[in-house]
Amino acid sequence: MLQRVRENIRVAVIHGPGSKIHPVWFDWRRQKHTIKEVTYHWRNMLGNAMLLHYSVTDGTALYELIYDASRQIWTLESVDAD
Amino acid sequence: MNSNRIIMHIDMNAFFASVEQQNNPALRGKPIAVIGSAKRTIITTSSYEARAYGVKTGMTVWEAKQKCPDIILVVGDNRKYTCTSAQIMKMMLQFTPLVEVFSIDEAFLDVSGSIGVFTSAERIAYLLKAQIKHHFGIHCSIGIAPNKLLAKLASDMKKPDGLTIIRPEEASRVLERMPAKDLCGIGARTARQLALYGIKTCGELGRFPVGILRKRFGIIGERLHLMGRGIDDSPVIPIEDADEVKSVGHSMTLERDIEERQEILKFLLQLSEMVGRRARRYNVYGKTITLSIRYADFDTWTGRQETLPCHINSSEDIYRAAVDILDTLTLMQPIRLLGVRLSNLRYESNQLPLFEQERKKMLLIDAMDKVNDRYGDFSVTFGSLLDNEKAKDKGSHVISPAWRPDGIRNVDVK
Repeated sequence: MLQRVRENIRVAVIHGPGSKIHPVWFDWRRQKHTIKEVTYHWRNMLGNAMLLHYSVTDGTALYELIYDASRQIWTLESVDAD
Repeated sequence: MNSNRIIMHIDMNAFFASVEQQNNPALRGKPIAVIGSAKRTIITTSSYEARAYGVKTGMTVWEAKQKCPDIILVVGDNRKYTCTSAQIMKMMLQFTPLVEVFSIDEAFLDVSGSIGVFTSAERIAYLLKAQIKHHFGIHCSIGIAPNKLLAKLASDMKKPDGLTIIRPEEASRVLERMPAKDLCGIGARTARQLALYGIKTCGELGRFPVGILRKRFGIIGERLHLMGRGIDDSPVIPIEDADEVKSVGHSMTLERDIEERQEILKFLLQLSEMVGRRARRYNVYGKTITLSIRYADFDTWTGRQETLPCHINSSEDIYRAAVDILDTLTLMQPIRLLGVRLSNLRYESNQLPLFEQERKKMLLIDAMDKVNDRYGDFSVTFGSLLDNEKAKDKGSHVISPAWRPDGIRNVDVK
């Protein structure tokens, strides 16, 4: 069931090589979620802002994380869990 | 037939559904269908697992569930697809500059000049397939042939994950028993008309007297004759060489049928703003406005156009012209779909108007556009468009067949 969250969250990320960004874990509701797999990533522009989307799984649910590259903010957009 | 050309057609298999299955591992290997976010949605595409049950594009959700009760419905995310498509099209440019984007999930490549570097067209196809699979986890079917017509036919012959080559000397043998309706450009209606003459296969079409075809189908008759023989000299046209667009338009299927004038006007204003924004972004002015209305019964359709004395591109002017057209119509039923189109185009850069009032108006539009360029469409907009829907959700929710990764045809879909 897809649940829209839209909350700013804390994300641990590996930058590089080059412009690559690889999210490793994130905090949400006082729980640390270790990312097992980035299943898909894409990007879009909202005005001037580049939004980088990452579909990630911690093995229990699917999460969509969005990185707003201009404001340097991570958002948990949605959670898809059984 | 110019048999020296080597044309490739790439077709992403069940594109939206494959992207969703890659995005969510729980969907892999399962019958899924991608649907729109609107309440009244249809099946946009389905996975091969769902197709095995008879689920087809264009079916209602109810029909799909009748065919496959366990089908998983996924609300599509157009930005995911347009981004993926644009990246795949970019990958193709590594092999040749001659890439023609045919739709969001199809492209033609002219690789005639690339063989010296990559050894063979077959190798290019395998390299491209491998790259797409590696980066996106999805499959494509590729057809290789001496022209676009046969390349498209070839890519359709093996799905998913196919590679089919039609060599020039094989074309007539392949076409002999191939149903004419399988050729790109021969729709169900033309196929029915051809069947009246006893033409069912490409072989029969190619042998049929061209004079009769010309008499029945006009100028298309000649083309049909050539198609039957597998002849197609049309070039692969990269986006930068494509003809200038003839119109800029948007339409939207409404969440529910509407008949109240105020409600209709609100949607017309939103559509006019979408058309105006795109026209202004590319310095396009139009003289003809078309208002399209589809009624609740699905079948009845009204499209009326009006040519103005001068070229316009401000959302307000487009809106006023659309409302003028609306006022000439007697609405027969509640409205299901509304569309606004600007055509009769002229490309030019902005000129400062002579009169103060007009100049102020232009500066206001310019200021609004600058804010929207920076923060996203509808961040600042007309007061009457303010409602519960967030600005970022307003706009185009459907990828049009004319969508392209660059230029004026690139519509930022939600």
